[in-house]
Amino acid sequence: MNLHVLEVVLLSAVVLLCWLGVIGMWRMKEPMQALHYLSLPATAGVILLVIAVLISQGLGQAFWKVFLIAAILMAINSVVTHATARAFRTRDVGHWEPIDGDPIEIVHEEEKP
Amino acid sequence: MNIWLIAAASVSATLILCADMCLRGTPERRLVGLEMASLIVTIALVLFTVGFGRMPFIDLPLALALMSFGSGLVFARFLGKHL
Repeated sequence: MNLHVLEVVLLSAVVLLCWLGVIGMWRMKEPMQALHYLSLPATAGVILLVIAVLISQGLGQAFWKVFLIAAILMAINSVVTHATARAFRTRDVGHWEPIDGDPIEIVHEEEKP
Repeated sequence: MNIWLIAAASVSATLILCADMCLRGTPERRLVGLEMASLIVTIALVLFTVGFGRMPFIDLPLALALMSFGSGLVFARFLGKHL
């Protein structure tokens, strides 16, 4: 009985995280800001989903496959988000490395005497 | 209807906002909407699989998770270089 309650709580948290991520993404005006909201379902959401599947199905094949999906999503999300942000910056300023004259703050190393 | 199917339906409902992102606005916003949609569909497919008790179908979200990696990278490269 307690495990069933825990399962409901975990699934509710997954749904909540998905909604928070999507609404956050939808509300942001800048695409670079919207990109940050991908991490909510991709990290916390899938971890809670894996725990819920473990409680529901036990340590079977289904659990290990969902575990693999979660690992893939977490690994892939960081790579794709970085590549997308890099593409946005390249599109905006023509390059992605920070150089002098960019409309961002560049912190220079202090010159040693 | 069990709790897994209710969760799957609730998660799937967020696709409406993802579709709004994909169909309106700048190409950058559309790409972010597409990436979120692929993530949400993967999670929803896992929930539907467990909800219906058809465990062999768990391979579908696994395949989608792998395919979304390629699509995300290709669209990002295309957006940065050509569009």
